[in-house]
Amino acid sequence: MLAFTLRRLAVSIPVVIASSFIVFVLVATAGGDPLADLRLRPGISEGTIELRRKQLHLDEPVLQRYGNWATAAITGDLGKANGGEEVRPLLVRRLGVTLRLVVFATIIAVILAVFIGSMGAVKQYSKFDYTATFFAFVFFSMPVFWLAAILRDVGIRINTRIDRHIFFVVGEQTPGLGGGFLNVQADRLGHLILPSVTLILISMASWSRFQRGSMLEVLNADYIRTARAKGVSARRVLFRHALRNALIPVVTIVAIDFATILGGAVITETVFGWTGMGRLLVDGLKASDVNVIQAWLLVAAVLVISFNLAADLLYGYLDPRTRTT
Amino acid sequence: MSRSHVAEGLLPAEGDVPGSGDQPVLVVENLSVSFATPDGRVQAVRDVSFSVDGEEVLGIVGESGSGKSVTMMAVMGLLPKTATVTGSVRFRGQEILGLPEKELRRHRGNHVAMVFQDPLTSLNPVFTIGNQIAEAIRVHHDVSRREAMAKAVTLLELVGIANAGQRAHEYPHQFSGGMRQRAMIAMSISNDPDLLIADEPTTALDVTIQAQILEVLERAQAAVHSAIVLITHDLGVVAGMADRVLVMYAGRAVELGAVDDVFLHPRHPYTLGLLESLPRLDDDGQERLTPITGSPPSLLHPPAGCTFHPRCRFVRPMCGEVVPELRFVGGLGQRSACHYAEELQAVDQGRG
Repeated sequence: MLAFTLRRLAVSIPVVIASSFIVFVLVATAGGDPLADLRLRPGISEGTIELRRKQLHLDEPVLQRYGNWATAAITGDLGKANGGEEVRPLLVRRLGVTLRLVVFATIIAVILAVFIGSMGAVKQYSKFDYTATFFAFVFFSMPVFWLAAILRDVGIRINTRIDRHIFFVVGEQTPGLGGGFLNVQADRLGHLILPSVTLILISMASWSRFQRGSMLEVLNADYIRTARAKGVSARRVLFRHALRNALIPVVTIVAIDFATILGGAVITETVFGWTGMGRLLVDGLKASDVNVIQAWLLVAAVLVISFNLAADLLYGYLDPRTRTT
Repeated sequence: MSRSHVAEGLLPAEGDVPGSGDQPVLVVENLSVSFATPDGRVQAVRDVSFSVDGEEVLGIVGESGSGKSVTMMAVMGLLPKTATVTGSVRFRGQEILGLPEKELRRHRGNHVAMVFQDPLTSLNPVFTIGNQIAEAIRVHHDVSRREAMAKAVTLLELVGIANAGQRAHEYPHQFSGGMRQRAMIAMSISNDPDLLIADEPTTALDVTIQAQILEVLERAQAAVHSAIVLITHDLGVVAGMADRVLVMYAGRAVELGAVDDVFLHPRHPYTLGLLESLPRLDDDGQERLTPITGSPPSLLHPPAGCTFHPRCRFVRPMCGEVVPELRFVGGLGQRSACHYAEELQAVDQGRG
């Protein structure tokens, strides 16, 4: 298992290098002017602008710039933003906010999807199954930004109607809130609710369908009949023999969908006014800030790769046929 | 309790040979099974009766859709809820039909065990072979994981798996088809069942492996002193292994008797047709095989009277009107569901 993990990690390295290179070249040659902000300010001389261009290495060829960036990045130095701020601490702060949303929503969505999908398969064509199917299709076909906007609006209406502040609709936490650790966490959880529900409903919609299909297939498998012929109880057949097999394809789907969730989180954050990775990307793009965008995409790439790796490991754990050696 | 199950039943136990022959292990009476479908009611099994004695091998022969598997699923209590079942299935005197699921579970895999057709898909891919056999034991006996595993290894040795201690920890995909079927047989005898149902156990395997598997099945039977119901469409397998044979056609039992009687002196035109459609080794290659003309009837709208009459070369007016009973013909317990069974005697002479 360790050898497998190391091999998978080793294979991922060229992927990270290639993706960072492609992204760097795309951003650096995309035509935005990183100095636009500076140029617009009054009283800045040509000399200052030229100096800044040198500082940011904008006068060098793209390949050389990538080389500089990569050398620094390996040592953990992600450079400075156009405004002069260190990128790394900025990134860590923003990533923390976004991961809170993504991880929380993903865990809950997976649990609900597995439960609802399996129930739908076991009780196929029941009222429960039809209801779950209906809502799955509703949320599956809804754009993230729209669902987020609706939930935000509903939250505001409820708050106004009962004249109490139940749903937080702006930001990831109340700024400057004191009252100790627990108080802060409770406040964060409160802010988490509506954005999470957005992501949960949308990802759960497709995952529960996959789980249902996969479970239906497994329940008709010969080895389920064998288990029943052994005298194993219906519950044990379901949880031990069927569920484990049915989870195998779903694990892959969830891992592949991780990029989509990250994208969904960026949009959801924007709707709910979070200062997370979403805002960072939008601001970075507006300013043509190569270092910020580069760092952002690097993190996204690493996250996607690690989720795929995690999926492979889980896959190997669930399905002995995919284990090598 | 630690008077280990491991040894029990694996050694040719002297003295405790289960009441051989006194009372049949299995008695099926007037069993009918039908399924509601959008097109109407499919009558998969109609009015089938037979019994299986202790340590006897009964072959059930018939083409696909003749109801042989459905009959045995009823005996296992494994029919889907959509099935309508009437009649009686008694196992060692106890009625199985209508038992609550909890009681059925104690019966399945314990008193009656089953070996399925396709060993490639009948084992769970995510659990080790040993684990799956041990589970079968632990479902019915209060033994530790370790004891169950030890017995699983002994069983794997019995069915001829070399290096069983190590191979028990391997997964189904690491076993060949023949090995998997051996493992299935080991699993089926893990609780010393009184009856072993083998549903086409060799159909999915290479011809070279088939004989080995049948041998393993016989060895397994000898170890646990069980009766066997061997479902197959391979008449050669039945001839080689079974004591008696039940021939089924379109959900009905059409002929029942000792293998030698039925194969040498068939008393039902369908059985005769089956035998004539077989190539024979002593044939000089000049004679052509004789197929049964026509195709099996629809189970939604089975023909009136004898179900075989539309394809029967001896058909007479009565055949399309009156359902023939499975009645004694000739001597020694041979039974046939043909109005004119006795007339087939003339054919015996012709067949030489």
